Amino acid sequence: MRYYRPTTTAEAVAALAGEAGTARVLVGGTDLLVALRHRTVEPSLLVDIKRVRDLRPPIDVESRAITFGPTVTMSAVAADPTVREWFPSLAEAALVVGSVAIRNRASLIANSANGSPAADTAPPLVALDASVTIASTSGERTVRLRDFFLGSRRTLCGPGEMVTSLRVPRPADGSSSCFLRMTRRRGVDLATVSVAAVVERDGRATAGLGAVGPVTLLGGPTGPVALWSEAEVENMVDELLSPATPIEDVRAGQTYRAAMLRVLARRAVLCAAGRRDAREPIRLTQEGDS
Amino acid sequence: MTTQDSRHSVRNAAVVPDELNEVECTVNGARARFSVPPHRTLMDALRYQLDLTGTKTCCAEGECGACTVLVDGVGVNSCLMLAAEADGSTITTVEGLGLDTPSGLSDLQESFLEAGAVQCGFCIPGQVVAAEYLLRGNPSPTVEEIREGMSGNLCRCAGYQRIVAAVQMTARKRSHHD
Amino acid sequence: MTEHASRTEVSTTTIDDDRAMTGAPLDSDAAGAMAVALAGGERTTGDGDQAHHVGTSVLRYGGADRVTGKQKFLSDLTFPDTAHVALVTLPVACATITDVRTAAAAVMPGVLTVMSAADLPQPMPRFGVSHQDRPVIADGQVRFHGEAVAAVVAETLDQAEAAARAVEVSYEETDGVFDLDQATAPDAALVVDPSARPADDEHRESNILETALYEWGDVATAAAQAHVVVENTYTFPMVTHFPIEPGGTVVTPTEDGGLEVHSPVQHPYLLQRTIATLLELPLAKVRVFAPDPGGAFGGKQTPKFEPLLAFLALKTGRTCRLVLSLEQTFQTMRRAGCRVVARTGFTADGCLVFHELECDYLIGAYADVAPRVMTKGSYVGAGPYRIPHVRTASRAVMSNTTPSTAFRGFGCPQVAWATESQLDAGARELGLDSLEIRRRNLIHRGEAFFRGPYEATADGDWHQSLEKAAELIGWDTPLPAGRGRGIAVAIKPGATSGLSQSLVRFLADGSAIAYAGTSDMGQGARTLWQQIVADELGTGLDKVTVVSGDTGVVPFDLQTSASRSTVFMGNAVLDACRDIRRRILSLYADSTGSEEDTLSEAPGLLVTPEGPLPLLEASRIALGSLGGEFVGQGIARMRGRKGHPLGGDAAFYEFNCTAIEVEVDLDTGELLLHKHISVSDVGTELNPTQVVSQDEGASIMGLGHSQMEQLLLDDRGLIRNLGALDYRIPTFKDVPIELVTHGIENHDGPGPYGSKGISEGALLCTAGALGAAASQATGVVIRDLPLTPERVWTALQQALDQTTT
Repeated sequence: MRYYRPTTTAEAVAALAGEAGTARVLVGGTDLLVALRHRTVEPSLLVDIKRVRDLRPPIDVESRAITFGPTVTMSAVAADPTVREWFPSLAEAALVVGSVAIRNRASLIANSANGSPAADTAPPLVALDASVTIASTSGERTVRLRDFFLGSRRTLCGPGEMVTSLRVPRPADGSSSCFLRMTRRRGVDLATVSVAAVVERDGRATAGLGAVGPVTLLGGPTGPVALWSEAEVENMVDELLSPATPIEDVRAGQTYRAAMLRVLARRAVLCAAGRRDAREPIRLTQEGDS
Repeated sequence: MTTQDSRHSVRNAAVVPDELNEVECTVNGARARFSVPPHRTLMDALRYQLDLTGTKTCCAEGECGACTVLVDGVGVNSCLMLAAEADGSTITTVEGLGLDTPSGLSDLQESFLEAGAVQCGFCIPGQVVAAEYLLRGNPSPTVEEIREGMSGNLCRCAGYQRIVAAVQMTARKRSHHD
Repeated sequence: MTEHASRTEVSTTTIDDDRAMTGAPLDSDAAGAMAVALAGGERTTGDGDQAHHVGTSVLRYGGADRVTGKQKFLSDLTFPDTAHVALVTLPVACATITDVRTAAAAVMPGVLTVMSAADLPQPMPRFGVSHQDRPVIADGQVRFHGEAVAAVVAETLDQAEAAARAVEVSYEETDGVFDLDQATAPDAALVVDPSARPADDEHRESNILETALYEWGDVATAAAQAHVVVENTYTFPMVTHFPIEPGGTVVTPTEDGGLEVHSPVQHPYLLQRTIATLLELPLAKVRVFAPDPGGAFGGKQTPKFEPLLAFLALKTGRTCRLVLSLEQTFQTMRRAGCRVVARTGFTADGCLVFHELECDYLIGAYADVAPRVMTKGSYVGAGPYRIPHVRTASRAVMSNTTPSTAFRGFGCPQVAWATESQLDAGARELGLDSLEIRRRNLIHRGEAFFRGPYEATADGDWHQSLEKAAELIGWDTPLPAGRGRGIAVAIKPGATSGLSQSLVRFLADGSAIAYAGTSDMGQGARTLWQQIVADELGTGLDKVTVVSGDTGVVPFDLQTSASRSTVFMGNAVLDACRDIRRRILSLYADSTGSEEDTLSEAPGLLVTPEGPLPLLEASRIALGSLGGEFVGQGIARMRGRKGHPLGGDAAFYEFNCTAIEVEVDLDTGELLLHKHISVSDVGTELNPTQVVSQDEGASIMGLGHSQMEQLLLDDRGLIRNLGALDYRIPTFKDVPIELVTHGIENHDGPGPYGSKGISEGALLCTAGALGAAASQATGVVIRDLPLTPERVWTALQQALDQTTT
């Protein structure tokens, strides 16, 4: 195995192309070094892109989207005020990835785009309709994250390619989101099941579902729902969860996982709905007046 | 029952040595230069090449925090970082925390002793570094913030309450000095 | 935090007045006799400026090196010319090895040797505490996941690991038994071939290694007298120690044909004997260095890879080093899982009529100390209660799983989980409160909890702990909605026999060196010896050095286990200090021409007709102008008792009462612990902060096996959660919102100043308290640990299904 630290994107993708299939991009390393230790991946080349100068900046806030660069860490994502305002679900997910020390290194793009079905940040990003830009020696292409995952640890980012940016569109006014997950203990843990819900002003909802299928799944969007109606919310949850195919593994049995998916989905929808109400401009004005 | 063969992939048993990477960095205020094979973690390089064995190895996969160090002022698990990645960085290990004091102990290290936070001591270097990082970012943390900030550092003797007390004690000491 | 402050205050204000000062060597037949002798013993005298360190929270000995990283644990030690060892293991739990081909590995760069069973003497050398059944390396078969089949020694670890991957092993996977149902089935595959067991072993055709039966009264007829009988089955999972220091060993061959063995073991002298026996060396040629274990909890008591490393070192003539990964540590130590079938009868008033237990411990592939875990754990299985009829039948059952070994609590938490849950089951049937039913059944000092010829009685005022825990949790205060409270008690026998020795040198300048073989693995043993020596010799803490962890210079100590050290080694250190005082007195009389009977000695003092002399001054006068030093020898020994099921009476009992208040999320099964109270009967707190540390640590460890810890196996016996990622232990965030510990001090223990051993009590009944609290909060009873969210939720669903169908 060799270690290579390029300074330009061109050098990086050229190196990846040179050893297509056996080279790996190294950013935070919090997943990759575990895999190296267990020899579940055995790359011939590690391409450390943290010194690449022409990458997208870690967090680029524009009027209609935030674009994340490949070196942005979970800590930076969770601490960013715009992320917290626009994408509370993403901030919540970033805040539960590992420990503080992990979050200081772990890359948002690597976590969400490595194809692990249990990755915490993938459900909110799928629900928020993020897209990724994939670069190679033959240029760039952009795909929706919803279409990006092919299977467990398999994505559209093929040999010789790397994800260079992640764009999350600013949510529509009056919408909000929430991320919830189940773990086996209160401290640092991997998700047994996770749900990110986005609820629009009119009561339409979209969900990203983690650890309940071979890939991060998209639920919805549903039609508008009267969120005060328990029956309607239950129907909405049914619809959001229809793609889920939970299985048994070392973290939970199939029945429990399926049941928790429902509990979390319902809670996440209601939480997002509540946040959405709080964000309605007219209400804020009224509060300001009183 | 069929006979099985256990040999792992032959490729792993490569006889060609990996090429070495040169690393230059600042460790506990001093310049350090060393060569590492690409797979070597920062944790192993600190322990076995720089003889800084205060950084401990337990899980070696980022779950226990025993190997916590500061890299450019940021708390990280040195088991999840390649030594090669440390080139050009400034590293503080537990050995570097009390360097400026006559006793050789930082206020935080003293608080760990005073609060009775130390039992077997194996996790303690990582705890001390993690707590130092926490306090630099949040000089007066609440109990909840300490528990959150330290939850990547396992203590099987479970001195958690004493460690929380040590962090609070240090925060008080530092606020009096300000 | 305030609770801790008040506890410390209580401790420091009462100790100086009350502590007894005899601490006679433990050589009596019964521990009870010692406690009585102590109660009548002389008391400390306040002697002006003499500092009293015992009873105060002096800082941990060696603490500074632990916070700066200077402390050298095994893997931090460096040796010249070290070779590195990597182990070859198979991805199976049970297999017959047909061939080990090492040729390819042996010629790889840096490789010094590759060793498998074929390279060792035949028959294969075996070792073990109760049964010498464990081979130095797998001998023709693999009995559990992770058992080493071959070992490679190379110049570097990378080279050793690369070569280990090149060793080819041909094997046939065979049927194994991985749980109690499989292991006790009539047609079960046998872990040990009957031919390898003694011909007169009645269990040789089964997986049962040993059994124990404790019986008094007549359970069969007593059942008719009971108003209520509850019968249930309880299970306790296999859990692993997970010391933060994974451990390992380094062995160096010496020029005289001996060996130096470095290992973070709790029992250096047992390791010394094991190596000497296996290698046919005199004890004097095997020197064990035991660097402080970075956590052990029982898992580092018995030898594991040291014998293999000894053979490798002798074969290569090199220092051989093996540092384990955490995964390998999981595969070398665990607690025995347990299933208890319990039938318990009560009177209408809630008094226990009978209690019948069948306890099966799943002990694993080799015996280790598991037979004693079974006998000792179930000896107190019926609990600290007044029960006229008891029958406890226990079995140590072998399986193709990691060999189980000692683990804090030593077999007691498993059965306490069942017995405490049965008390609550009875209370529910009778409409009694959990506290009240314990009040009615918990014995008072001197009452028997174990009856018959080897009767054992309460050596403390245990009701005080029960009442204190109830008070601290606010048992009588209204319970917030959605919460439940539970309270439980348990006991554990301390050490029952064995020798501890200490040498103390009182040097010419008043400093002292104490040699005491206790392994300081976090409990803070050295701190106590420092405190005792400082007080007894009247010197400063900073003038006392403690030497341990070297069989070449430190006299024999049986072991660091069973919370024995405070009592046994503590008394030995105390005895050594008094020996010094007597020697000073004697030589002072000789040097000054005075009569010995005009002199007396006291802590830090020689009392002469002219008045008290500081000990240092007296020793200078005694030694004269050429100076010198005094050496004191201290011995604490407790004889066993022939025929006693434990080999002897316990020197003391650890008694604990735990009370927990929990909130349950009924939708997810998650538990939120609001309050966790742990009260232990500690005799005397020699160092209150260290007692608090042990109690808090044990409480949280108890929450581990109660809430989240379990080794999960697949259907072929492979560990599914091998490593820190999926084996969950409590973190900072899993600590209860409020965790308060308290020590009851009656100065009634057999250790120095009335102390008792204290390190295990607080995890004995955590599960019982948590289970009862969860039951109250949810209305459902769970009898299998751990109480994971999934298990709690599943129980709630089953209850719901039953009510709706």
